[in-house]
Amino acid sequence: MGQGKSQFSEEELQDYEDLTYFSKKEVLYAHQKFKALAPEKVGHNKNAKLPINKMLQYPELAVNPFGERICKVFSSSRDGDCTFEDFLDMMSVFSEAAPKSVKAEHAFRIFDFDGDDMLGTSDLKQVIERLLGSNKLTEREMQHLIQNILEEADLDDDGSLSFAEFEHIIDKSSDFANAFRIRL
Amino acid sequence: MSGGANRKKSNRGQGWEEAGFEFYQESYPSNDVELHDVLQKDPKHLATLLPSKQNRAYATIKMRQSGTSTRTYRRQTSSKSRRESTARRASTNAEVHVSMLPDLSKSIPNEQKAWEQIMQIKELPISMTEKKKMKSDIQNAPNFRLQGYEQFKWKRRKALRRFDQKINEILSKLELWKKDLKKIEGNFGTGVVAFFLFIKWLIFLNIFIFVLIFLFIILPMIIFNPSDPTDCFEDDNSTNCCAVDYFNQSISDNLVVLDFVQGTGWMEHTLFFHGFYSNDIFTYASHAFTNYYSLPLAYVSVIVVILLVSLVAIVRSAAKGFKHRIIEGEGQFYQYCNLIFAGWDFCIHNEKAAIMKKKVIYNEVKGCLEAEKLEEEKKNRTKEERTKLIALRIFINVIEIVILIACGAAIFFVFTFSSDKRNETDDEFLSLLYGFLPSITIVFLNVAVPLIFKFLVVYEHYSPNFVINILLIRCVFLRLASLIIFYASMYTIVSCEPEDGECSNKQCGTPMCWETFVGQHIYKLALTDFATHILLTFVVNFPRSLIDKKSKSRIANFIGEQMFDLPKHVLDIIYTQTLCWLGCFYAPMLPAMFVVIFIFMFYIKKFACLVNSKPSNVIHRASRSNSMFMIILLVSFVVAMLPVAYTIGEIRPSQSCGPFRNLNTIWSFVTKAFINTPQWIQHFLDFLISAFFAIPAFIILLLCLYYYTAVNSANRHMVRILKDQLVLEGHDKQFLLERLSLFIKQQQEAQKQMRRSEGDRNAASN
Repeated sequence: MGQGKSQFSEEELQDYEDLTYFSKKEVLYAHQKFKALAPEKVGHNKNAKLPINKMLQYPELAVNPFGERICKVFSSSRDGDCTFEDFLDMMSVFSEAAPKSVKAEHAFRIFDFDGDDMLGTSDLKQVIERLLGSNKLTEREMQHLIQNILEEADLDDDGSLSFAEFEHIIDKSSDFANAFRIRL
Repeated sequence: MSGGANRKKSNRGQGWEEAGFEFYQESYPSNDVELHDVLQKDPKHLATLLPSKQNRAYATIKMRQSGTSTRTYRRQTSSKSRRESTARRASTNAEVHVSMLPDLSKSIPNEQKAWEQIMQIKELPISMTEKKKMKSDIQNAPNFRLQGYEQFKWKRRKALRRFDQKINEILSKLELWKKDLKKIEGNFGTGVVAFFLFIKWLIFLNIFIFVLIFLFIILPMIIFNPSDPTDCFEDDNSTNCCAVDYFNQSISDNLVVLDFVQGTGWMEHTLFFHGFYSNDIFTYASHAFTNYYSLPLAYVSVIVVILLVSLVAIVRSAAKGFKHRIIEGEGQFYQYCNLIFAGWDFCIHNEKAAIMKKKVIYNEVKGCLEAEKLEEEKKNRTKEERTKLIALRIFINVIEIVILIACGAAIFFVFTFSSDKRNETDDEFLSLLYGFLPSITIVFLNVAVPLIFKFLVVYEHYSPNFVINILLIRCVFLRLASLIIFYASMYTIVSCEPEDGECSNKQCGTPMCWETFVGQHIYKLALTDFATHILLTFVVNFPRSLIDKKSKSRIANFIGEQMFDLPKHVLDIIYTQTLCWLGCFYAPMLPAMFVVIFIFMFYIKKFACLVNSKPSNVIHRASRSNSMFMIILLVSFVVAMLPVAYTIGEIRPSQSCGPFRNLNTIWSFVTKAFINTPQWIQHFLDFLISAFFAIPAFIILLLCLYYYTAVNSANRHMVRILKDQLVLEGHDKQFLLERLSLFIKQQQEAQKQMRRSEGDRNAASN
């Protein structure tokens, strides 16, 4: 930890502590994890920008079907490359302390592939395809499934889920907060 | 959907085309450029501009672009509504409006507001650089000067927070098994972790139980160290003589280890068992007063308190899960959404587990889709098929009941057989074997019979979810039934009243100190159970998993493949806990032993989970499994409590040992103690149980209950109405949007045409 400490000033740590759901110790621990992805680069510059393929080596992101989406959502340059601050943001949202509403907001952005602020049928289809991986549903089953989802959640019947509708589902789902979590 | 939407609605009657484009501009002046962009692409996308369709991230980013200096203070208005998620729409709307107001940053925020703002920054979905900027903006705002008392408050706030974090840090260090849990979670997902957290919860519960027992029962015994009764005169009361008899029994010179596993010999006369505790009222003089400490009273009250505390702890945990269940139950319709949006455990970090998880989700999706079909099929079943199936189910249930009865009979028989034989034999090892025979039988049945159940349930054609539940219920039934039978066979020995002048009824074979005798049996049962877990996990299942891993052949896979069968493991743990509650009266040190056993169990189960088994092909949801654990635990608790309560209330304690030696029932000690309390307490309690108080209290409770059910049903009705209204609003909105986009299109066309004609005219004039 001594090494990590020397890279941050007390003020920076205070900022991070105020602006995330982490304590200073956890911030430093997160930095260690970040450093482990590219020891040399981060050793040089503590806030180095790591390309997306480096980010995807983080174990939880590597196997996550939405790994690349997560990087893109949290990347400040929107292309998936992340600095340490982006990484810290990410981990803060995924931490246990983050409230459900914050998690829901990011989940919505992760699932919103085309970025139109609505989860349309194409978004849902992509989510499902990624979730199932190599196990394929037939076209009819897929249609049926999407139909069922929309039937459940699409309150205003416009064929896609708005954020408000999404949040409503999340609010009722007791599993979401548990599932949408990465232990540091 | 306030503001603009309402106005739109009111204009609707007049045919709002007349209001025209200006109206739209009026409603959303700040979106002008954006609107244009969107319209260029496709007027249909208009919907995305609606305030209700925007998430906070989007709104925030937009805000930052439109008003540079208002950005932070915007949150003041929305901060209050943040808590209720339903108010989100309103707040987004408020944000839009505030952005149109003049710069608010001039108004001086007091230190509390500033603090709250800083604390809220972390909730915003923006990048760290922006967050930092916001924070420094708040702190360096020209009017943000803290002086005197304000500054002091600011500093105090900071210090408090730091203190809070320090405590949290220390607590997080205390958190047991963080790494283990992460590893399990990475491989098996959150449902299985819930099981391990449950073990942890039980450990803490048992530690608490033991601390209570230690402080109030064991510690006084150690401090006062009452001497064993030694003097017995012929004309003395028989109790004393019996005690002398009991404590002077020749201690068998068995091997130390043998005594240890059976709880006999030297171990019988330790603080471990009930019989050793004294019936003295300890006195000690401090200054001028003499204080009394009545061990028997402490003993009874501690047991009662323990049972109450356990009950409260279970009910509290169960209620939490139950609340989730109810929310979910109302939204039965959310199963697909839940599956898709909350299906992935983001904590999974193992490639194989990820592949498995995908497969599991796939199965679940398929299962859900097929369940719909099954429902249809169920409706379409012919009468003949239905009667056939019902007959089959009844038949299988009868078989299962017969098996249960047979199990009970077997346990009863083995118990009487072994206690008979044990009295006859002199051989150490044979007696050890007979001593353990009942426990071994029970444990064996617990392992073997569920396999039969599992085999039989296939023929009953239940839906997969129901199969899990019914198997679980049957297994719980088996385990509890075996315990009850065990208890009953104990009861036949224990309940014989000794005749006059005798210390214990020799005819029934009642031991000198039957409480200790029961304690010994529970102790043995716990040991056998624990040993079985070790054996099964390391000696049977571990080689099986090795076979499975090493060999690819089908037979090897059949023998070796194991899923992590969560319900079974939960039952194991709950059974152990039931033994603990049963035993804590007869052997006060037992909870301490169970804490140790549970700690080992954590590692045994971890091994069983990580090394022996593969992820199960059924989804275990954390929330659902948690409430399931608690409900089973509650049932077992009741079953464990009944015999203890009966012992305290009804059975005559043995004459030669224990804190209650010369009493008729244990509870009579409490009544005696009650009579000695001051008059006003007695009067007060009398009043509490009198009709004057009880009946009105009962009626008031009933009224409260009625009131809450009424409120509940009203709320439910309201929810339904609101939902309908929402759908209606949605339809309205869609209709309006369609009209609007059509209108805009026309407008554009018209403009284009106008421009073209203008151009033509210009060209013509030129």
